[in-house]
Amino acid sequence: MLNELWLIPALPLAGFLALAFLGARMPRGLAGFIGVGSVGLSAALTILIGLRFLGAPPPDNSYTQVLWTWFEVGKLSPQIAFCLDPLSLVMTFIVTGVGFLIHVYSLEYMRDDPGYARFFAYMNLFVSSMLILVLADNLLLLYLGWEGVGLCSYLLIGFWYSDPANCRAASKAFIVTRVGDTAMAIGLFLLATHLGSLNIHTVMEQAQVQWAVGAPLAVAAAALLLGGAVGKSGQLPLQVWLPDAMAGPTPVSALIHAATMVTAGVYLIARTHVIFELAPSVQGLVAAVGALTLLIAGISALAQRDIKRILAYSTISQIGYMFLALGVGAWSAAIFHFFTHAFFKALLFMAAGAIIVSLHHEQDIFKMGGLRKQLPAVFWTFLAGALSLVAFPFISSGFYSKDEILMLAWYSPQGGWHLWLAGLTGAVLTSVYTFRAVFIVFFGESNGHVTSKPGSMMTVPLWILAGLATLAGLVQTPITHLLERTPLWSETAGEQTAHTGELGLQVAAIAAGLLGIYIAWSRFVVHRDSTREWTETAAGAKLCALSASGCGFDWLYDMLFVRPFITAANFCKKDFTGAIDTAIVSVNMGLNYALHASQSGRIRWYATAMAIGAAITLAIVILL
Amino acid sequence: MSSFDLYTLSPLIVLCSAPVLVMLAIAVRRSHETSVAITLASLGLAFVLVRQLGAEAPRQITPLIVIDRFALFYMALIIAAAFVVAVQGYGYLKRRHVQPDEFYILLLIATAGAAAMAASTHFASFYLGLECLSVSLYVMIGYLRESPRSAEAGLKYLILAAASAAFLLFGMALVYAQLGILDFAGLAHAKATQTGSDMIVVLGFVMMLVAVGFKLSVVPFHMWTPDVYEGAPAPVTGFVATVSKASVFALLLRYFSAMDPHLYRPVYVAVALTAVLSMLAGNLLALRQDNVKRILAYSSIAHLGYVLVAYLAGGPAAIQAVSYYLVAYFVTTLGAFGVVGTLSTRGEHREMDSIDDYRGLFWTRPWLATAFTVMLLSLAGIPLTAGFIAKFSVMSAGVGADLARLVIVLALTSIIGLFYYLRIVAVMCARPAQSTAPVGAYVPEEKASRSGALVLFALTVTLVWIGVFPAPLIGILKTLTLGAH
Repeated sequence: MLNELWLIPALPLAGFLALAFLGARMPRGLAGFIGVGSVGLSAALTILIGLRFLGAPPPDNSYTQVLWTWFEVGKLSPQIAFCLDPLSLVMTFIVTGVGFLIHVYSLEYMRDDPGYARFFAYMNLFVSSMLILVLADNLLLLYLGWEGVGLCSYLLIGFWYSDPANCRAASKAFIVTRVGDTAMAIGLFLLATHLGSLNIHTVMEQAQVQWAVGAPLAVAAAALLLGGAVGKSGQLPLQVWLPDAMAGPTPVSALIHAATMVTAGVYLIARTHVIFELAPSVQGLVAAVGALTLLIAGISALAQRDIKRILAYSTISQIGYMFLALGVGAWSAAIFHFFTHAFFKALLFMAAGAIIVSLHHEQDIFKMGGLRKQLPAVFWTFLAGALSLVAFPFISSGFYSKDEILMLAWYSPQGGWHLWLAGLTGAVLTSVYTFRAVFIVFFGESNGHVTSKPGSMMTVPLWILAGLATLAGLVQTPITHLLERTPLWSETAGEQTAHTGELGLQVAAIAAGLLGIYIAWSRFVVHRDSTREWTETAAGAKLCALSASGCGFDWLYDMLFVRPFITAANFCKKDFTGAIDTAIVSVNMGLNYALHASQSGRIRWYATAMAIGAAITLAIVILL
Repeated sequence: MSSFDLYTLSPLIVLCSAPVLVMLAIAVRRSHETSVAITLASLGLAFVLVRQLGAEAPRQITPLIVIDRFALFYMALIIAAAFVVAVQGYGYLKRRHVQPDEFYILLLIATAGAAAMAASTHFASFYLGLECLSVSLYVMIGYLRESPRSAEAGLKYLILAAASAAFLLFGMALVYAQLGILDFAGLAHAKATQTGSDMIVVLGFVMMLVAVGFKLSVVPFHMWTPDVYEGAPAPVTGFVATVSKASVFALLLRYFSAMDPHLYRPVYVAVALTAVLSMLAGNLLALRQDNVKRILAYSSIAHLGYVLVAYLAGGPAAIQAVSYYLVAYFVTTLGAFGVVGTLSTRGEHREMDSIDDYRGLFWTRPWLATAFTVMLLSLAGIPLTAGFIAKFSVMSAGVGADLARLVIVLALTSIIGLFYYLRIVAVMCARPAQSTAPVGAYVPEEKASRSGALVLFALTVTLVWIGVFPAPLIGILKTLTLGAH
């Protein structure tokens, strides 16, 4: 009954193939139609399959479709198989649904770009890779999707490749995430060799059977997987690539930040949470990483001038919340925050893209101002997204998901007041930087000159996402219940039991958000001049520079890794290992010359060589 | 001979009568299209018959020939390859001023000979098949009489192949003189019962090995390969590189599975040494080569070395690994020479085989360059192509049979191979060379022949298809059994 499952990733893949091979000769309309249509069909199919799945859940709430076995050698038999369970259903729904809206938006955003077909080809491949990742039934296929996502992010961040800065950003994203990917690959090898299978479900079951809580192998596996997750999800210490990834076209940023790529790490941890439960120390580390990241990213966002960089840091910070939730065992809360975050972050990026296009590719917020009147549709939708991002009480979806995370950070056995406090501080920071952007961009005096207004292809997806960002909180209970039916899903965080003082925490969370908005209002609307004066003082300028540089991580890594590495490489250039390399080459070349001499083209010599060969063969056979 | 025997032999009968039919058609009226149509139709019919026979029980027909699943599989492979060569040859010959029709007669005779070899269980049928194949090949290689290189290649092949045939015949004669046996099963029986080694018989076997080594173009009998590959018309090169080798390999598998090579250590050592030398020499010789056809020739020497590793593993694993490897090698090689042939339609006097002809191909003929890249990646054994699975199964067969040293050589030489395959890809990616035509001049776009392009497309898809989805093919290979028992 769910037999069409394979079509969900296959359709965008087919779209990619068609565009990659024929895109250059296609009329633009057809290229756009294929690009959007393939993801649209995939999204429609997801809804259909989702309804069937909910209507008549398969046994164990998990449906596996084995397409074929790649090859079989010994115990290794990697299968091309997809698995649908509540977790992958929710992920697939977001990837295709939000992905589809972003594609529609791109139709207009990329309208005049010469690389139109190439853009949609990459986007389709991106969506397809992400779908393979979330639907994969085994670790190898998951890794294929994982690498595919990495490749597409490289291609799309560097989409405008004629500017070297964009290529540098693309390389940076690729190389930094590669650090994590390597850790993850080792982790997967470890799981596969010690647990004797590549199938995710089997691996998880075997882990529970074979490993005790805190077993060294479990800790190692969890730590390595975490390495992969922090790389892809832009978490400390590998978060540095994400702000630079803004070099790509804005729909790409929306896709990377909302529906694909950065959520891969969250998915990975949720999918392999059994391993993390067996390694409580690493799970604690996940929470610590999340808490630290959300604070550092929040501080970094405060002084950014580029609207896309503000949003980039906000993504890092929000994924930090998801990691925090994962770290305290609140799997469903993490995925639910991913669910709402996908809507409002895609919305914010696309609204920002609409502003950027309207102002003729201006990204500096201080050159915007007063756009509330000029771009009302963008203003209202951006505001809906911003409210959701700051978890404005009751009328935003972010409120429901973030509130849940903060609550569980306090009550969960793995949680504690310090995690909660970090989350709460982060909430204040979130409101400050978000509304700083809102006030500077949409209020005050008009600086920029609006050259064009976004058309319906851009505004309709914005309104749809604004609606979803506002209302998605209503499905919190059904989604949570659905996720709890995922096989092996075990909520270790506190169940929905009533805790004393829950109301107090909720009030504190609401107050934190409102306090942030108030600070932003007072600093950037009422006392804007005094704020500007403060930034010109010595201390203020230093603090701003620190924040603007993303708390100096780029500088730190440059000092710690890049420069020593280059120095070491320069040093090693002259050592003997180089001689080994050249020796290999010259040995091969020398042999080539020697053998080449035998190919004289003279038939006499060829016949002689044949006779000599026969004689030698005979000698071997007789003498042995 | 019963009528059922005739039915069982029907693919061979079709293949043998097809050349006569083409000759008759030429006698009535020369028409390139008619000749091609008859050729393709008879090859298609033979293929269908082979498939039909797959369900029948294996059958020994006279002491000469056995029709079992193993023979049928190799026949199918050979016929399919001949089909591809015929289509490629059509596009190739159409643009050259030669009488094209006789090409198809020769092709059909060669195919019949190769198919007979795959099914032979007797020295007589072996030799007859081999000569049918070889004699046709002399003419096919030298088919472009006007081109000195083609004629030279034909002559070289003729002289050296004749020498190797002499080795073969003399070897057979020695064995017969000593044992009085010509069929493989009888030989195996005689070998098993015999105690101690008979020097004359050993001499006979070694001589036969020389001839087989020549056909397979393995070191030290490989020297003709680059010259002949370079001189022959591209479709013929594809045929020489695939069909003539696979038929010999089929025979080798059948012959040596009849007599366990492990019982006969010195021969085993000699073959292992040949394999190592082929892998090394083939890959090393290709390193600085600037002629694409010669690169492919050297690479084929190396690939035959890889196949020998699988062959030495012995047992059912060897049959599977060798057969899979040969299928992948067939598709890749036919595709690669198909690309060369398709490109060569532009030059009347010369084939486009210098590496400079490929500079910037990605920008001028992206489809062709993509197909060629896939072929080269498969030859290099990159995952998701058939070449990867092929090399993997060869390695696993080798590891399973404790041939660690051979497998290590295989892995190391594959690294060398990567260099020259990727070099061609890199050249194709490079910016196109400055056109000599004045700026803005109209350069008519060259069209590949449609049939050739279609075949090339099919080969590329097949290559990726069996690389990603090899299970059905492996399923077929698992059922390949020898003999009529």
